[in-house]
Amino acid sequence: MASVEFKHIEKIYPGNVHTVKDFNLKINDGEFIVFLGPSGCGKSTTLRMLAGLEDISGGEILINNKVVNDLEPIERDIAMVFQSYALYPHMSVYQNIAFALKLAGLSKSEIEEKVRPVADMLQLTPLLDRKPRALSGGQRQRVAMGRAMVRTPEVFLFDEPLSNLDAKLRNSMRTEIKTLHKKIKKTTIYVTHDQVEAMTLADRIVILRDGKVEQVGTPREIYHSPANKFVAGFIGSPAMNFIPVELAKDEGWHVDIAGQKLNLLGDVDDNQTDTKATLGIRPCDIHITPDLLTNPLVIKGTVENLELLGSTIQLTSRLGDSQITVEAPSSHMVNEDEVTNFYIDESRLHLFSDQTGLSMYKPNAVLE
Amino acid sequence: MFAMRKIRWGKYIFLMLVAGFVLVPMFATVLGGFKSLGELRTNPFGLPDVWEFEYYAQVFADGSIWLLMKNSLIIAFFSVLLTLIIGTMTAFTFSHIKFAGYKYIYNYFLIGMMFPAAAAILPLFLKIRDLGLLDSLSGVVIPQVAFGLGFSILLFRSFFEQLPSELFDAARVDGCSYIKFYWHVILPLSTPILATVGVFVLVASWNNYLLPLLVLNTEQQYPWTLGIMQYRGEYGIEWNRILAYVTVTITPAIVFFLFAQKYIVEGLTGGAVKG
Amino acid sequence: MSNEVTTIGKRSSTSSNQNVSRWFKKNNHGNRLLTLVLFLPPALLLFTIFVILPIGEAGYYSLFRWNGYGEPSQWVEFSNYVRLFKHGAFDTAVWNTFKIILISLVIQLPLALIIALSIYKKSWANSLFRLIFFLPYILAEVAAGLIWRFVFDGDYGVMARFTEALNTDTWYILADKNWAFVAILVVLVWKYFGFHMMIYIAALQGVPKDLIEASKLDGASRFQAIWYVKIPLIMSGITISIFFSILGALQTFDLIMPLTGGGPSNSTHTLVSYLYTFGITRMNVGFGSAVGVVLFICCVIFAFTYQSTIMKDKK
Ligand SMILES: Nc1ncnc2c1ncn2[C@@H]1O[C@H](COP(=O)(O)OP(=O)(O)OP(=O)(O)O)[C@@H](O)[C@H]1O
Ligand SMILES: [Mg+2]
Repeated sequence: MASVEFKHIEKIYPGNVHTVKDFNLKINDGEFIVFLGPSGCGKSTTLRMLAGLEDISGGEILINNKVVNDLEPIERDIAMVFQSYALYPHMSVYQNIAFALKLAGLSKSEIEEKVRPVADMLQLTPLLDRKPRALSGGQRQRVAMGRAMVRTPEVFLFDEPLSNLDAKLRNSMRTEIKTLHKKIKKTTIYVTHDQVEAMTLADRIVILRDGKVEQVGTPREIYHSPANKFVAGFIGSPAMNFIPVELAKDEGWHVDIAGQKLNLLGDVDDNQTDTKATLGIRPCDIHITPDLLTNPLVIKGTVENLELLGSTIQLTSRLGDSQITVEAPSSHMVNEDEVTNFYIDESRLHLFSDQTGLSMYKPNAVLE
Repeated sequence: MFAMRKIRWGKYIFLMLVAGFVLVPMFATVLGGFKSLGELRTNPFGLPDVWEFEYYAQVFADGSIWLLMKNSLIIAFFSVLLTLIIGTMTAFTFSHIKFAGYKYIYNYFLIGMMFPAAAAILPLFLKIRDLGLLDSLSGVVIPQVAFGLGFSILLFRSFFEQLPSELFDAARVDGCSYIKFYWHVILPLSTPILATVGVFVLVASWNNYLLPLLVLNTEQQYPWTLGIMQYRGEYGIEWNRILAYVTVTITPAIVFFLFAQKYIVEGLTGGAVKG
Repeated sequence: MSNEVTTIGKRSSTSSNQNVSRWFKKNNHGNRLLTLVLFLPPALLLFTIFVILPIGEAGYYSLFRWNGYGEPSQWVEFSNYVRLFKHGAFDTAVWNTFKIILISLVIQLPLALIIALSIYKKSWANSLFRLIFFLPYILAEVAAGLIWRFVFDGDYGVMARFTEALNTDTWYILADKNWAFVAILVVLVWKYFGFHMMIYIAALQGVPKDLIEASKLDGASRFQAIWYVKIPLIMSGITISIFFSILGALQTFDLIMPLTGGGPSNSTHTLVSYLYTFGITRMNVGFGSAVGVVLFICCVIFAFTYQSTIMKDKK
């Protein structure tokens, strides 16, 4: 049973490259945490500091409430799965899985006892005598996981373990990882820059940018209540529409988009004195028909471009100076150059301060 | 088309001529050992009319040739062994430990590689003498290892650096210290480069003449390169004996070459091309 | 007062101890430092003692007259060098070394290149040729020297045939002051061209095929394809083989001894065989060291010019 805690973690590489800045996070026992962020934001570095593969420049890392800064990787009771699998090419699958146990000084029979069930669980038993080079990508991936599991560590670390697989295999391995985690319930930290992986796997997602935590939350929270403009834009595909707006108040708060007035029914953060803000609406929260919406906001726009993507259509439209993307079921009929009404679910609006980038709006409707 | 064919022919005639230039002296050597002196004089290059086996037999007669070969082998064996061990250890510190200032020390080894061993041969001789290594096989082995280090460290290091860095991380997580990683992962993965460097050192040591000449005085310690020169000194211009002797002594090298061709060529040119 | 000083001293020393131990802890993950302390010194010591130190000592000893026993005491300034440059045999040795370099560059390397170009493609016959041409390189120099000594013997070898055919007196070419070194140069080419050929072949096999094909499509003749495409692309192989052949030329020794031993009348010495004959066999440590220093300086000059010209072009 293990909790993990990062306290004010800093990483400064030689040459004064400040990669991780004041990273704080408490991970509960058995939790599946995903680090998500653009390339170079310091995900791997943070993970490697936890693994003991990288010096910690400042702060403390605790595993089970014990500071591990000065411990060897092996003493931290962690196991790690690497992006390129890092299997030992000269060892058979069996030897790869058994290597850590051999180093730990276990006897031959003890090793056998531990390797067999792991190999069974991962369906590696028929492959045990093969060398890694004679395995497919998915099989290598499983060996790498077997190597991590055989030591029954308290914390599992994954650094983009699926990014070398093709799309199909990635999906099935993702499910496998999820199932495994449900089965063994060990604290897991998983690094990726693939949102789908993050959304499907995580109990909580940690969004990183430039070595700083932008938001920590469940996939639902991250998606529906992004804490700031960066998170809002980073999560979701196609990306959220951002529209610069003027914020004003008469009877209630409202914004103006291309001369059309949108009333805000929720709570606007009153501390914000800023009148310039950015409105955020996800393409799937803009509808072409008012069906299903209880009290939609209506806005007019011209359809500029239309793409059929199968079950959905994606269209772009111009609202004043800004362009918006709309995603709608392909059963709806619209034509290019047509002026049409767009219906917006008010409870799905986001508003970000231009000064701080922070979210400054809470819609009224409670999210399901 | 006609011109094309002409070029072909010209090319093969040229290649055959060069091959003749290379091979005729060698065949003459092998065959010369089977000829009497008289025949050697009238027919130096052709097949012998009468095959005489006594000259070859005499090469083996007193058994000293086995001792020479044995000494050469011992020197070569330990030179290879030590170069591989020390070379990989040192290269490992450059490729994985990367201590502060390692680049300077690495360059120190590389610069040493550029300088001729022969330039400082006299002080080297005095050093070997003062260390009490004169007239011992280790007196040949140790300096030989020292001179091969620059080259082997260069090759080893570039090989180690090409290994994926995640391999080291994985091994650390599995519980390897640096030494265990070197032993369990680096060395087993380095067999190609070990073979390449090993072959290079082996051939250089087997053929070395100057260093044994300098260090060894008693015949009991001689490698075959000294033995062959001594044999020539004894038999002067009895070329049939000498040619038989030469043939016998170069045979191991040629057989070895035919078997380990790939590694030899890589060992002797590979470093050049990669470096 | 003094008490205070000592306590301060003590405190600072314990804190520095702490610093050291913290530093050690931080840097010794996986026994990193211990491994370093174990792995680096053997090579460093061996290399320093047997390769680097002797070079420095050669410079020092070259200023003495000394037979190698006791301490060098008879300081003679530069008289060893003066003697050296006045010695005719030394001049010859320098010239001969220079000739080796010249022949390597003008005959050996082009020959190796031509052969490499004609047999670098993979085929059965080409492999056989490669094998044959490389064979002399793996023979020991002393064995090769003896083989050619036989070939050049006026009574037995090729020279006997030659003079027989011309109906002249027997010609002992290795004993002929004017021709002995030419004979040595022939042996040098015989022995080493295969090595350079292999370097070129390795480089040529690394040239992407489509580049050559593209040049053919562009209408290049065979010769143009070689001159404008292949040779520029194997330039790195060529610079390396030039480097090896010059460094090798400067150190030629093993071949000289069985062929001529430097004779007749010291006409075929190279720098190293000269060093051996006049420095080592007579235990003229000072004089021999002076020769070594000259050789060393030649190498340094060469290495630097090489770096600043050929290597620079490469970049
Ligand atoms: N050894 C190093 N020395 C200096 N800078 C480094 C070093 N390793 C990483 N960095 C820098 O630190 C930053 C973070 O690197 P890191 O590998 O943690 O990114 P990442 O979030 O894992 O990205 P990716 O998704 O591409 O793997 C990068 O800008 C990188 O250039
Ligand atoms: Mg990464």
